[in-house]
Amino acid sequence: MVNNNGFVLTTVDELLSWGRRNSLWPLTIGLACCAIEMMHAAASRFDLDRLGVIFRASPRQADLMIVAGTVVNKVAPMLKLLWEQMPDPKWCITMGGCASAGGPFPTYSTLQGMDRIIPVDVYIPGCPPHPQGLLYGILQLQKKIKEKGVLRYEKAFEEFKREVERRGLLPREVTV
Amino acid sequence: MQWLDSSLSEQLKKVFPNISIEDGPYLSSISIPTDELLRFLSHLKSEGFKHFIDHTIVHHQAPERFEGIYILYNPELNKRALVRAFSKDSKLPSIEKLWPCAKWAEREAYDMFGVIYEGHENLRRMFMWEGYPYHPLRKDFPLSGPQDVELPSLTELYAGRDQEPSHDFELYHTKVATLQDLEKTQYSRLNKKAQLMLNWGPLHPGTHGTIWFLFDLDGERVVQSDVILGQLHRGMEKLAENLYYFQFLPYTDRMDYISAICNELAYVCAVEKLLKVEVPEKALYARVMFAELQRINSHLLWLGTGALDLGALTVFLYAFREREKIMDIIEGNAGFRLTSAFLRIGGLHYDLAEGTLDVVEAFVKDFPQRLSEYHSLLTRNRIWLRRTRDIGVITRQDVFDYGLSGPVARASGIAYDLRKLQPYSGYEEFEFDIPVGEVGDVYDRYLVRMEEIKQSIRIISQAISKLKKLPKSAPYVNKQHPSVMAPKEEVFKDLQDMVKNFRIVVHGESAPIGEVYSAGENPRGELGFYILSKGGSKPYRLRIRSGALYNLSIFPKLIKDGTIADAIALLGSLDPVVGETDR
Repeated sequence: MVNNNGFVLTTVDELLSWGRRNSLWPLTIGLACCAIEMMHAAASRFDLDRLGVIFRASPRQADLMIVAGTVVNKVAPMLKLLWEQMPDPKWCITMGGCASAGGPFPTYSTLQGMDRIIPVDVYIPGCPPHPQGLLYGILQLQKKIKEKGVLRYEKAFEEFKREVERRGLLPREVTV
Repeated sequence: MQWLDSSLSEQLKKVFPNISIEDGPYLSSISIPTDELLRFLSHLKSEGFKHFIDHTIVHHQAPERFEGIYILYNPELNKRALVRAFSKDSKLPSIEKLWPCAKWAEREAYDMFGVIYEGHENLRRMFMWEGYPYHPLRKDFPLSGPQDVELPSLTELYAGRDQEPSHDFELYHTKVATLQDLEKTQYSRLNKKAQLMLNWGPLHPGTHGTIWFLFDLDGERVVQSDVILGQLHRGMEKLAENLYYFQFLPYTDRMDYISAICNELAYVCAVEKLLKVEVPEKALYARVMFAELQRINSHLLWLGTGALDLGALTVFLYAFREREKIMDIIEGNAGFRLTSAFLRIGGLHYDLAEGTLDVVEAFVKDFPQRLSEYHSLLTRNRIWLRRTRDIGVITRQDVFDYGLSGPVARASGIAYDLRKLQPYSGYEEFEFDIPVGEVGDVYDRYLVRMEEIKQSIRIISQAISKLKKLPKSAPYVNKQHPSVMAPKEEVFKDLQDMVKNFRIVVHGESAPIGEVYSAGENPRGELGFYILSKGGSKPYRLRIRSGALYNLSIFPKLIKDGTIADAIALLGSLDPVVGETDR
């Protein structure tokens, strides 16, 4: 939208969304094998910094949660706590089969999918996914933020929460 | 490696008339009544069987009883001993006083089987949380656990229940821990003595995975500490009991995910021993070549992350550059970068890809310069020296008491390398040296691993020349054996092969009755597989002896009176991988 005079016109929403999607700061949750591929994605060859993705070690500074690896039942409440400590707006990517749906571990100790405890935006399949897969997932999330926006996300999330309460579907075992 | 069998144990019989020795086809074991177990083990320890290898339990049904299994090693005779004793009313005496690392093995057995150890210092759950009501490895416990909690997919709820679910999932789920449970777990471990209780991990970048450390601090001095594991306990051993032998192979990749091919090699050797499969020459050499590439890969990750923890970011980026090269070689052959599942029982999954040997040769030629680059960054670096020298000194006695193995044991001057002591997969045909340390501190462990990388390069170049001598059409899998799957390309052409593959995939391999213990030298120490087969296509019990678990068990001792900053350097040098410690 560059006019002849050199002005750039945009909406505040669009500007915020542009800023948000291009500086996704993920919280490092390296749990298992996928964490190695996540490290590779951040290291010399794939270089996630190009996308404005800088790993943070604290949930207070992060707006994206990349869950890389098997989530076991013992870790689930910790992840839920970290998710709640992250300021809004926030997004979640599950990397790999285990975090997405339990993967090859249908066992007594493994959580069958991260979406049982927190809502997930992008699922990346693979065991583990290639670093390129993670890059693609992040690009998909950027696209999602661009299309759906944050406000709509929040509104939908409020609706979803009300819906859950109305139906009484709050998971009782993981209330924190 | 031989076992303590009936020919050797005449003297033992004089002291302990109640023991009975069975020479099985794969190993010899000594049975002893429970009352005499403690006395017998301490006698064995004084007789030279002082290196603790493993302790585990086998659950027999009808009549219901638990059998304790102890594996010890004698470094002078280069022999192992397997001692077995049945528990009385689910009780066994604790051997924590003899070998301190048994504390962890016993906690695990208590967690998984509910066996009570009398005389244990603090018998708590090892992997599951306090208050978990079941003992999962008992035979009557289902693989997925009781599905008694309603836990819907939130993403699906968000999208609305009327739509198709995003994936096939069950609404009901097995028990999930709560924060209160975890708090209970934490408080059950340590009695606070000093000023401040500090949690380090489980989701901390410096803990190399999800290990949860508890430090009781007086100022910055660690008074006591404990390690809570189980944040990546995925139930591997339970899974193995429910899968055919070939089906478990990809799971071994996901245990110590940094050295996948070494894990596969250890597992495949154990199963081949059980099924009596001969492996063609080409497969043997290719296995060695890839296992050593994987060892370099693993040590590079240790180097990169270990140095990163101490503030050296450059090393991390340099090491990952070389790692990418190795992973490309593996990907070119196996089709997968990290968890490659390249080996098969009886050989390899694929033939070597075209040009592999040239690529590996180029890598081997180039790598020594890279290695000297790392040396120039760290070895004489003043900061590195001050952070690593005389930190976490492991004595020779500690190596035996804590069941240490791998580079951690070798850095303390114990040349315990299974590639030499118990050659598997044709390692006896290769020339290489075992580097050992003198002091046993963090710096020595660094030097030993760096030297091991050099030795691996030596092994790889020998493997290349051996492989080059073989004709291109040499077989890479022993397809004559009835339990070995035929190569994929032949399955589609040959009816016989297709029928055989179909039979194995549907019914599994039929293993003979017997028990096997076979171990491989992993970058993280001895990875052993104890397989108890009662016939059929699934193991009755598959125990994974993890090197990383026992190496980590010495951590609370080493960090005592140290500081938190030392803990990071020390943990980096022990190099645990949570996938293997927790399984």
